[in-house]
Amino acid sequence: MTAAIALRPEPSALQQWWVLTVRSIAPTLRNGETATAVAASVIFTAGFYIPLKDFMGAATQGIASSYGQYLTPLIALQGISFASISGAFRAATDSAAGINRRFGSMPIAALTPAAARMSANMYRCVVGLVIALICGHAIGFRFHRGPLYIVGFCLLVLLVGLALSSLFDLIGTRAKNPEATTPLLMLPQLIFGLISVGVQPAEQFPGWIQPIVRNQPISQFIYALRALAGDTTAAVSSPTWSVMTPTYLWILGLFAIAVPMSAVSASRRP
Amino acid sequence: MADKSVIVDRISKSFGTVQALRGISFEVGQGEVVGLLGPNGAGKTTTVDILSTLTRPDEGCAIVAGHDVVTDPAGVRRSITLTGQQVAVDEMLTGYENLVMFGRLQGLGKSAARTRATELIRSFDLVDAANRRVGTYSGGMRRRIDIGCGLVVRPEVVFLDEPTTGLDPRSRKSIWDLVTRFKEAGIATLLTTQYLEEADALSDRIIVIDHGIVIAEGTADELKERTGGNYCEIVPRDVNDLPAMVDVLSALLPERNRAALTVSSDRIAMPAPNGATTLVEAVWRLDAAKIELADVALRRPSLDEVFLSLTKDSSQTSVPDRPATSVPS
Repeated sequence: MTAAIALRPEPSALQQWWVLTVRSIAPTLRNGETATAVAASVIFTAGFYIPLKDFMGAATQGIASSYGQYLTPLIALQGISFASISGAFRAATDSAAGINRRFGSMPIAALTPAAARMSANMYRCVVGLVIALICGHAIGFRFHRGPLYIVGFCLLVLLVGLALSSLFDLIGTRAKNPEATTPLLMLPQLIFGLISVGVQPAEQFPGWIQPIVRNQPISQFIYALRALAGDTTAAVSSPTWSVMTPTYLWILGLFAIAVPMSAVSASRRP
Repeated sequence: MADKSVIVDRISKSFGTVQALRGISFEVGQGEVVGLLGPNGAGKTTTVDILSTLTRPDEGCAIVAGHDVVTDPAGVRRSITLTGQQVAVDEMLTGYENLVMFGRLQGLGKSAARTRATELIRSFDLVDAANRRVGTYSGGMRRRIDIGCGLVVRPEVVFLDEPTTGLDPRSRKSIWDLVTRFKEAGIATLLTTQYLEEADALSDRIIVIDHGIVIAEGTADELKERTGGNYCEIVPRDVNDLPAMVDVLSALLPERNRAALTVSSDRIAMPAPNGATTLVEAVWRLDAAKIELADVALRRPSLDEVFLSLTKDSSQTSVPDRPATSVPS
């Protein structure tokens, strides 16, 4: 039974990383994860765009050329947030099933499974972004500044996705409870999404909450993304340092929390 | 030393104020199957965790397949397979895909991993289920694929942490057959279990631990011997004959067994150091005294009785550094 392979080959970290990445990605097509991501983006787009188009379209007149143009950055963020939550769910499932424990007893470097999970999360974010851009395109969103800024827009969304995924992966891995992790992460992103400038301008909120609406991270990301996407109206801001810096700082902050904690968490074998 | 696959030398481990292990020591020889037996919370899983490098010991030293678990954990990981209490495979993948994945993780090339997966599917009797997701498997099949994933490359030491907990008798039997194959293949196996019959059926040697220390060690026979070995159970037809029986048996019945008799006793249990000869002697004496018997039997203590008596002892004497009492063979 066991005599067939007598010598243990020396495993390569690169091969292990690739095998674990593929393992996380491969089932997403058949277990409904990708289908759910598409559905979530479509429902989110339709759910906000159709009922709010006329009402918010009037409120955003002069700020954006169309409500589709106004709403799409939030759809993109929603897409990568959903991707990060799916990743957290998988991470929690692995932890709960003892898979991480098993990897810990195998000749696999401590950081390899975490790196593979992050790679798979980036794949999820790319898929989420592509779906969001297709949805955005359908409701009239267009890029107006040329290829370099399109790349910038996509990279920024993915960078936010990377930061969010690192944080959510850590939460999922330590929580070891997939059922509880998903709603736990869904709630704050829903609240932050709704009290942001993604759906309506800050001026539409009651005065007391406007400072929060303007300065919370999602709004800052949306300001930056709108600037990178550009628009035909004169009101659109350019991607200047003053628009972009808060976003960079928020992302740096997220990394500053997630990366050291993930490193500690991964090096401590489960 | 060289022929030992596992050497555990005075390992201690605490979690906060809980002392999980208090100076545990034992060895597993090459190709030997050792059962680590103990009640819940005895320290079985902590021991396995330390030996498979998932937890570091606070004190003491452990060598697995020639590698120190603290100074050379990578060497240990290259030599072992751990099967935990939970089935730890990817439920989203099929059985075959899991085997290929673990083969690739162990460094096999694509085609070698596939060949090996096919072999294991066949030898683990999972051909029909090979292309189904593990999530749809029954408990016994899940356990088999779980162990199979640990055998894609040959381990020198296998740790099986309660491999049959929650399995039906037939699945349990199939896991037992697997362990027997480890033995035949010369792989050292440390098996933790709460089931005495399992330890009895599979292990060459049993180590009983409780409260983080080894309280007994030996073969199942030796352990049974320790709790008093064979004994006779004699049941009179008339309970009122008991005092007369005690007189007749006189020297055959040690003070300890005499003291165990109470007013509600309906039988006498006494040691039978010479087995059937002692029994015949007792029957002969009772017959001569015209005491009618309802039943008489020569009995061996079950491993359960041994276990209960051993763990009862250790809960009464909670001396931290009590040395392990090894049974001379």
